[in-house]
Amino acid sequence: MATTAAVTLNSDLLSDSISLTASSTLMKAGTTADDLDMVDYGVIDIVTGDQFDLLDADNPASSPVAGVMANKANKVYIANHATDETYYVTIMIDAQNVGRLYAGDWMFIPWGAEDANADIEITSSTGTNKIEYALFHQGRTLNAS
Amino acid sequence: MATTTATITINSTDLLSDELSLSTTATLTAADSSTGLTDVSGLARKTVTGGHAQYTLFDGSDYTADKAHKLYLKNISTTAAEFFLITVNAEDVGRLYAGDWALIPWSAHDNDCDIKIDPSANDMTLEYMLFIDE
Repeated sequence: MATTAAVTLNSDLLSDSISLTASSTLMKAGTTADDLDMVDYGVIDIVTGDQFDLLDADNPASSPVAGVMANKANKVYIANHATDETYYVTIMIDAQNVGRLYAGDWMFIPWGAEDANADIEITSSTGTNKIEYALFHQGRTLNAS
Repeated sequence: MATTTATITINSTDLLSDELSLSTTATLTAADSSTGLTDVSGLARKTVTGGHAQYTLFDGSDYTADKAHKLYLKNISTTAAEFFLITVNAEDVGRLYAGDWALIPWSAHDNDCDIKIDPSANDMTLEYMLFIDE
């Protein structure tokens, strides 16, 4: 099983061109033989007015899979499909501001989910931002019904 | 106007029952505009000799707040268990394991909003480049 993520950065903002490519195979923490084998994927409209938990880090101690997502090699991909250049979403982790994802931008970050408060939170600045997201992980807690 | 593009491609033939193939290209522009980012730190490489210590990679007070900066990181270690813990304003973002890369939007929201790295072992090397929104 193998999932690969590659990035290509091209730019003409220097007198010489920048062209950079990097690729990695998404592995479980600390291994070279065991790939991340689970994914959550979605597309959702983020409306203004509230901060939402896009991805919840909660791993209750009583859960049979407690801690399986915490401090691992999870990867999060988020793309903002808004088209108005003034639209953006603010990405926060545990109430700490990470950055703004403007219309057309994407991000790909490791996510430690180191404790139950380390949610990935999202707030729309203006209008409705359509967000595509994926979490590649090695297990997470489902809430008991 | 400078044009900087970032393309991500995610592929998997067997994660799902059908093939996963995702590709998105972003043109890196300044906040609230269609003008391309005009400043870059340049591609850099840093080897940190002491593991389990935190180093400031970018200081939030050095950059304009609430902009559309983008940070590229890559852990070039080949030892699977080695990682850089990435933090923003003292909050853990995640662990960048050997061979992993990341592209992180960074708003430099306030003076405390530093990007810091904490290597899990001695003599680990990180490659990085910051696209700066003045």
